[in-house]
Amino acid sequence: MKKAFSVLLALTLALGVAQAQPSLTLYTGRSQALVDKLVQQFQKDTGIKVNVRYGRDAEILAALQEEGSRSPADVFWANTSGALEEAVKRNLLIQLPASLTRQPQEFVPSNGRWVPVSVRFRVAAYNPAKVKDSDFPASVMDLPKVAKFKGRIGWTPTYSSFQDFITAMRVVKGEAATKAWLQAMIAAGAKAYPSNPPMLEAMQAGEIDVALTNHYYIQRILAGVEEGEYEGKEESEEEEKKELAAKEAKAGVATHYFAPGDVGGLALVTGAGILASSKNGANATRFLNYLLSKKAQPYFVDEVREYPVIAGVSVAKGMLPFSNAIRLSPKIDFAKLTDLEGTLKLLREVGLL
Amino acid sequence: MVLRNRGKTIPPYFLVPALLAGAGVLLPLLYLLLRALEADPQTLTELVLRERNLHLLGNTLLLTLGVMTGTTLLALPLAWLTTRSDLRGKRLLALLLILPLAIPGYVGAFALLGASGPNGLIHALTGINWPRPSGYWGALGVLVLFTYPYLFLNLRAALLGLDPSLEEAARSLGYRRLEVFLKVVLPQLRPALYAGWLLVGLHVLGDFGVVSLMRFETFSYAIYLQYTASFDRIYAAWLSLMLLVLTVGLLTTEARLLRGLSFSRVGLGSARRQQAVPLGLWRWPALGLVAFTLGAALVVPFSTILYWVLRWPGDYNRGLDGIVQSFLHSAQASAPAAIVAALLALPLAYLGVRFPSALSRTLERTAYLGYAVPPLAFALALIFFSLRGVPFLYQTLVLLVLAYSLHFLAEAIGPIRSALYQASPRLEEAARSLGYSPLGAFMRTSLPLIQRGVLASMALVFLSSIKELPLTFLLAPVGFDTLATRIWGYTSEAMFAEAAPYALLIAFFSALFVGLLLTQERKS
Repeated sequence: MKKAFSVLLALTLALGVAQAQPSLTLYTGRSQALVDKLVQQFQKDTGIKVNVRYGRDAEILAALQEEGSRSPADVFWANTSGALEEAVKRNLLIQLPASLTRQPQEFVPSNGRWVPVSVRFRVAAYNPAKVKDSDFPASVMDLPKVAKFKGRIGWTPTYSSFQDFITAMRVVKGEAATKAWLQAMIAAGAKAYPSNPPMLEAMQAGEIDVALTNHYYIQRILAGVEEGEYEGKEESEEEEKKELAAKEAKAGVATHYFAPGDVGGLALVTGAGILASSKNGANATRFLNYLLSKKAQPYFVDEVREYPVIAGVSVAKGMLPFSNAIRLSPKIDFAKLTDLEGTLKLLREVGLL
Repeated sequence: MVLRNRGKTIPPYFLVPALLAGAGVLLPLLYLLLRALEADPQTLTELVLRERNLHLLGNTLLLTLGVMTGTTLLALPLAWLTTRSDLRGKRLLALLLILPLAIPGYVGAFALLGASGPNGLIHALTGINWPRPSGYWGALGVLVLFTYPYLFLNLRAALLGLDPSLEEAARSLGYRRLEVFLKVVLPQLRPALYAGWLLVGLHVLGDFGVVSLMRFETFSYAIYLQYTASFDRIYAAWLSLMLLVLTVGLLTTEARLLRGLSFSRVGLGSARRQQAVPLGLWRWPALGLVAFTLGAALVVPFSTILYWVLRWPGDYNRGLDGIVQSFLHSAQASAPAAIVAALLALPLAYLGVRFPSALSRTLERTAYLGYAVPPLAFALALIFFSLRGVPFLYQTLVLLVLAYSLHFLAEAIGPIRSALYQASPRLEEAARSLGYSPLGAFMRTSLPLIQRGVLASMALVFLSSIKELPLTFLLAPVGFDTLATRIWGYTSEAMFAEAAPYALLIAFFSALFVGLLLTQERKS
């Protein structure tokens, strides 16, 4: 036992010594499927070794707080702006240089302590076999009034993107209207799911017909459906539409976009910042620069069907052009989307949490 | 350091490791108390003392009792069939029946959801539209299917260790087989039943993955939400402490039931081999039960995963390059954890059985408290204490192995304890009278007798460690990805095909490890 222990200890120490090459420690709430590929490329391009700790945003954030100034982390790359703002509140992130914050086209928070890295939009998913796009009201606020949808809507009240959406609704429509909407949705029999993949799976299985979700979950399902006969050819817009409809029918999932400016089309971001405990500022800055570069940004489109934050990166087939998608979202300063506490309190009041 | 109890002296080489293990498990509790003290009273009443929590507690209790009943109905006949009947290939069947434990609960739940409904595998193959599991009965069914092996392993070890002479005596007095089972065998299985129930119960109390997918709200759901939705550690600590109160209730009940039990042999000579009971026509329902269990808990989940791979072929040139590495990582962390946990559990169980006293009982129960601390809180506690006490161990494999073994210590105690109840203390006393030291006497008499229990302990801890998530995320060396973290990474992004090879590998590797342990059983 003792022997095994000292061998293990020696091995660990040896590993520590071996890491003499320039390195960087990244804590991320994003999934390995996405991050790993980018990090590999970064290592190849810069010779900087990146050590990654994966987890969920909340776990990473809790760990960062317990570690405090002893944290080995240099960069926190989160899945939600909510986690980043929480990190700002606890003074975990440093002010970023203007050379970084001026790169994204939109969504840079006024406090300048993190940069957006990719964008996602709130949308409604629906089963085209059961529901038509024209069945939807112009605003998500009227969704519970549609008689046809009674008992057929799914949502994710415990999921961060959904909660950000409720925070935005409180900012745009006010406290009372938001509470009334939540109660109307509950009265309309909205079904709660823990996260988006099982909700969409339930929709494909016929448990629900409509789901409030993020755009990329639908895009990823559609990307998995085999291409039709049109592949590779120059296509007219009409043909592309037809092909999309065929794919949607096959997958049993289609996207509904609410009217421009409606809170149902809210834009949300993922982002990254540099930790106050980091003793490795130069490499950390280099990594954030890399995330915002023309080389890295296409990964977000290709791998997870999110939108880039810099100009001049093309999006995948079936996704709305960025300029169209952004018009759908209400204009909200992300610094105002920080009152998560208020949202959680409201969700508790109506009995969703 | 010598403590006396009813005239018996607790040898220090059992007491000191037991105290250390107990202290290690108590750290997370201390951490929870530290955090809980930071609370502000008004928010506390708002978040913790609300009616909804009572409702959730009710749900949790109902589910726990339901799963305990369900697992017993499944595990007891299965354990008997794979030890005492004349079924062929009992060892292989036992191995297969343990395997559902290797499937992470949320993966199992997801696969069963994917198998049912109009889009599911069952419909595609048979045309039957099997209803999708959900709510109380869904959660109950899925949890029973993936936790019954806890009870099965405990019962199996106990059944194999029974002395057949008691049963033969009962038979010779004219009792029928069923009466013998109910009046002679079942009472002797009590320690194993209690240990298994405790594990199943604690598992259900702490489960989040399955209940959330089945859309059934329990108390651990509230704790999980407090940590994840609110990024909060203080009120989550309060909720965790409330869950621990529930655990203490379970533990006291078990302790009361265990009081005064002793099932060791008193006769002379060594026990005879047990005779296999011929099943006759009962063979068919017996095989039916085995087939149903294996079908629902193994075949359906894995076929669903394969079905996903075929339906949405993944992009494997990116998914597979890390598979060997993550496999090695899983092995490096889980196998040592199984060994360390068994080593720590031995003195705890030994004191509990041989030197029953307030101290030994408390120490043993402490392990169960550690098991009931939500893993996320457990991980945060170890970050907190290791950075302050042993910073050089932070984010090393050593700490991860320790974390696994301390957190899953409770799983290791049960089988060892059941085996110790069956090993006669007279043998040790005889060895002592021949001049052996207490440790020497233990090594030469009791240890060989409880080997089976030790192996079952290791199997349980291994299977739990290999699928563990929060501890791995937060305590592993940076960049240390395991099969389980990979599976989580893919499934959370709905990349099921990419997750499939990792899920298959976890099951295959677990089968290999448990198989290895079972072959050791033959030698003993």
